[in-house]
Amino acid sequence: MARMKFLCDADRCIECNGCVTACKNENEVPWGVNRRRVVTLNDGEPGEKSISVACMHCTDAPCAAVCPVDCFYTTEDGIVLHDKDLCIGCGYCFYACPFGAPQFPKQEAFGVRGKMDKCTFCAGGPADDGTQEEFEKYGSNRIAEGKLPACAEMCSTKALLAGDGDMVADIYRERVMRRQGRPQTWGWDTAYGGTEDS
Amino acid sequence: MRTGIFVLAALGLAASITTGCYESADVTLYEPGIYKGRHDSLLDKLENPELRQKLDQRFDGQRDR
Repeated sequence: MARMKFLCDADRCIECNGCVTACKNENEVPWGVNRRRVVTLNDGEPGEKSISVACMHCTDAPCAAVCPVDCFYTTEDGIVLHDKDLCIGCGYCFYACPFGAPQFPKQEAFGVRGKMDKCTFCAGGPADDGTQEEFEKYGSNRIAEGKLPACAEMCSTKALLAGDGDMVADIYRERVMRRQGRPQTWGWDTAYGGTEDS
Repeated sequence: MRTGIFVLAALGLAASITTGCYESADVTLYEPGIYKGRHDSLLDKLENPELRQKLDQRFDGQRDR
């Protein structure tokens, strides 16, 4: 069974924000919510690096561990999803997440949080696949159609890789060997640990 | 007799006040619970070998040309 993972190759990311736009467009993410964003380190200085960040679908997801209503579940492939009907918008997952992935729409005055929203690996949620209900709550379900997340498929430099962890690691290993640099797998260890089976 | 009642009342009052000062030293370690939401039909679809094959082909498309 494949183990779905994200990897952003910092040496290839050109901060075009194509992944952010692709995600917004594919899932019709509401204003103020960013499921994916590009972070640039040492911006404007020589040697700056950009990384595309979203939910990394962690092996041992801390968001799921702290959720008081147990609205998270993980597919056999390791995609971490949640049920918006159960979510109470408490924000615990936001504090637990090392990547700042959970997002909360500001629906009312006085900072009241709405239901949590995050990257679904373009795998929708716990509603019937391909229905309007699923799209409105969770966005597009590309995995059910045999496609990969829109952000990775739209990446012009192929900096953002998504898919089976073994294959992603294999592609990245080939690249590092070719350019003879140091591997910069930002967030990989945090999300998936260093074990073989993760 | 009156002194005894006074002492008992004072003790009761002291006990009720100090009760608020108690703090449990036990830490609650929260473990991931069991998912309580709706079933996701994608979970069944992912067991389909055709879909898996389709996804695998798509993964391979991410290689450098």
